[in-house]
Amino acid sequence: MLALGKEVAIGSVDKELRLLWEQDKASTNASLINLAVYSEEDGAILKNSELVQEITREHACRAILIGIDRDDPEASIRAWITAHCHLSHGRKSVCCEQIAFQLTGRATGRLRNTVFAHLNSDLPLVFWWQGELSSIFSERLYSLIDRFVFDSSQWSEPAESFKCIEKALQDAGELMPMDMEWTRSYPVRLAVAGLYDDPLAKKALEHTSSIRITVHPGHRMAGLQLLAWVIQRTGWKPSMDLGLNTANNDQYYFETHEGSDVMAVVETDPSAAPVAGLEILSPHCKVSVTHEADSPYLHQLLEVGCHRIERSTPAASDDSAELFMDHLSRGGKNSLYRMMMPTFLGFLGVNEEEI
Amino acid sequence: MNNPFRKDLVSRSQPEACTVVIFGATGDLTHRKLIPALYNLQVEGALPAGVKIVGFARREKTDEEFRSGLEEINRKVSRSGHDDEIWTAFAQNIHYHQSEFQDGDGYKKLAERLDEIDQDRGGKGHRLFYIASAPSFFDDVLEQLKNAGLNECKEGCWSRVIVEKPFGTDLPSAQHLNEVVNRTFQEKDTYRIDHYLGKETAQNIMVLRFANAIFEPLWNNNYIDHIQITCAENLGMEGGRGGYYDKAGALRDMVQNHLLQLLSLVAMEPPTDLSADGVRDEKVKVLRSLRQWDTPELVAENVVRAQYTEGHVDGEKRVGYREEDRVDPESTTEAYVALRVMIDTWRWSGVPFFVRMGKQLPKKATEISVHFKEPPTVLFNALSGGVPGGNVLVIRIQPDEGISLRMVSKIPGARLRLEPVKMDFHYSTSFGKGSPEAYERLLLDSMAGDATLFARRDEVEEAWKFIDHIEHAWHESDTPPPVAEYVAGTWGPKEADDLLAEDGRKWRRL
Repeated sequence: MLALGKEVAIGSVDKELRLLWEQDKASTNASLINLAVYSEEDGAILKNSELVQEITREHACRAILIGIDRDDPEASIRAWITAHCHLSHGRKSVCCEQIAFQLTGRATGRLRNTVFAHLNSDLPLVFWWQGELSSIFSERLYSLIDRFVFDSSQWSEPAESFKCIEKALQDAGELMPMDMEWTRSYPVRLAVAGLYDDPLAKKALEHTSSIRITVHPGHRMAGLQLLAWVIQRTGWKPSMDLGLNTANNDQYYFETHEGSDVMAVVETDPSAAPVAGLEILSPHCKVSVTHEADSPYLHQLLEVGCHRIERSTPAASDDSAELFMDHLSRGGKNSLYRMMMPTFLGFLGVNEEEI
Repeated sequence: MNNPFRKDLVSRSQPEACTVVIFGATGDLTHRKLIPALYNLQVEGALPAGVKIVGFARREKTDEEFRSGLEEINRKVSRSGHDDEIWTAFAQNIHYHQSEFQDGDGYKKLAERLDEIDQDRGGKGHRLFYIASAPSFFDDVLEQLKNAGLNECKEGCWSRVIVEKPFGTDLPSAQHLNEVVNRTFQEKDTYRIDHYLGKETAQNIMVLRFANAIFEPLWNNNYIDHIQITCAENLGMEGGRGGYYDKAGALRDMVQNHLLQLLSLVAMEPPTDLSADGVRDEKVKVLRSLRQWDTPELVAENVVRAQYTEGHVDGEKRVGYREEDRVDPESTTEAYVALRVMIDTWRWSGVPFFVRMGKQLPKKATEISVHFKEPPTVLFNALSGGVPGGNVLVIRIQPDEGISLRMVSKIPGARLRLEPVKMDFHYSTSFGKGSPEAYERLLLDSMAGDATLFARRDEVEEAWKFIDHIEHAWHESDTPPPVAEYVAGTWGPKEADDLLAEDGRKWRRL
């Protein structure tokens, strides 16, 4: 636990933090958000300290790491403090505080009181939940959170977990959800939007006949969200109530405003990148965005009539810290995600009345 | 039909694919600013697919030679670094067109080439003409564009022009240029670029004022004593700049455009909306309300001009202005100017704005400082030392963009002793990621048809009207105010200090 810094008594966290700053007069303490990183995975707290080290390069925050072990018979809370420092533009040393808490056994019930007593006042709380949702994700917790970050690719029962998220959104109107799977598909969405700036491609959209989305099997949620985005944006209607779900792909049918039938497939490929491609075909137009596994580039292709555009842009990294930073940089209210959700939940077979 | 995938994806107007034609394509601006800006937009995925770039210049070059020259500089200056694969794809869309600026045939061939590009792209195409050539060619380029019919867009398309500063050298030349521009392009399609307005902090002025409830109630003559706008440069006439500068001077080069634009953002009333005309309507009202210094006596009272003499900056010896390369040894052109500006509106009545710009000053810095009135002194005036100055809100434009607020605080201890303390917000500390270059934002805005951050015709002309009176007093009156002197590496002439000292004020120490 040395990497977490100095172990301190729970009642002395604030005092010890003050001492930390008094020892180092050359650094600037910066913070724009409270960032809580929560995990129930064994040893995650050390890994998360490294993630926070990365994140604080771009996003000054007070970081609160939370490690939970509910199965430990002993009830205990331990705390460590440290600071992550970086040279800003080669000149000034800018530091961000980190407090790490390890809660075990019955002490996990004291999470809210212990941890949230150490938030920086007036700054928003971004809560990054890692892994499966558990009973700790309750109204008592999410009512304190401004932005809730999760990764649905880590869920074994996504439909059930998304129901919990939806319920939280109904209970806490101000809560902003952010799914890492949605962030993974951002560069592809941006590329598709760019290609459809082309007037001929735009014209061909209503004559679309097929959509093919390829994802890694671990990122089916990203594929379905990408499809839900296309459908919500175009306003096309489903032409069959249920999609077909075979071993390797989900298949859906839609109808465009001009009456074209569209077959959409979300297929998985174990050798593919997390979000490996999106292809939209119509009789005279092909729009394709592909990301080869291990390639740092996204290849974009537009073929419409005799006109062809090909270009490369940087692909998203699948590194958790990078994805998280990418999301924070864009900020906003994630309204597009909220708009896409009803269609996406429909793909998962979640009925809004069930929530 | 709008692109449904663009909507809500990014919170800004949607840029449209177009062909960007750059006049003066072999110049520094194209190599160091425009192409790196377009490249960085491509890297960020913000450049619409299908954007083509055609460089127009007089020198003979092939497409390949042109691309390789651009690549060499991009490697050195690109904000996001240089990636060979992305550059290769990007460079395929860059072409070179050789022609004299006055050669009608060159423009006809350009029109044919643009038609070919449009055809490759499937028929119609938007066009963005960027005039980055020397100002003496502005008229020629615009007239020839019109003769070749390039100012007219095809149905459903647009044709826009970006004009680089200087927009004229005085009011008549600006009016002439504007007439030529407006004979060729409609005002709504004319984008007069002022890269200061593309800087993050300049854009943040409106946010600071109108998105924070605590400042606007104080933003008037009841609470503000005066405002200072400073643009300090620690360089002189390096790189042969003396030839241009000696004809222009600090007032024309910086004050007429950049600093008066900043002043209007600081002083304007809240716009009714954030549309281009909503904002620019309010900015132009400020310029219209500037009190005119229209006699040599008024200029002498309110404006100081100066030249630097030999001195040291950053430990290096610097020659005096008149000894600089390509500067007339008898020159009376100002390398420093300081002005008292009064805005005759209800809000600003009696509040002076002090604007200064100078070369060979101790450091490079541009900032706006809002100096609030001192509080009633009944409580603390009896203390030894009194109250150490009023509150000062500083908006730093460059470098180290940020905002700070000076307040008065009690020094810990048994005695009641007051000292100023500073609350400081630095963009670089709070937001680790670098800001985009001003040209990136402005190029994207022009592709999206958003002219908010560009100067409108009336803004330019009102600014010249104010500047012309001063220039006239300096260069055409029988009793021109004197040219003061300051040693290179100091903060300007004593006369500029006196301008503030008359009312018991002083320049903020940067």
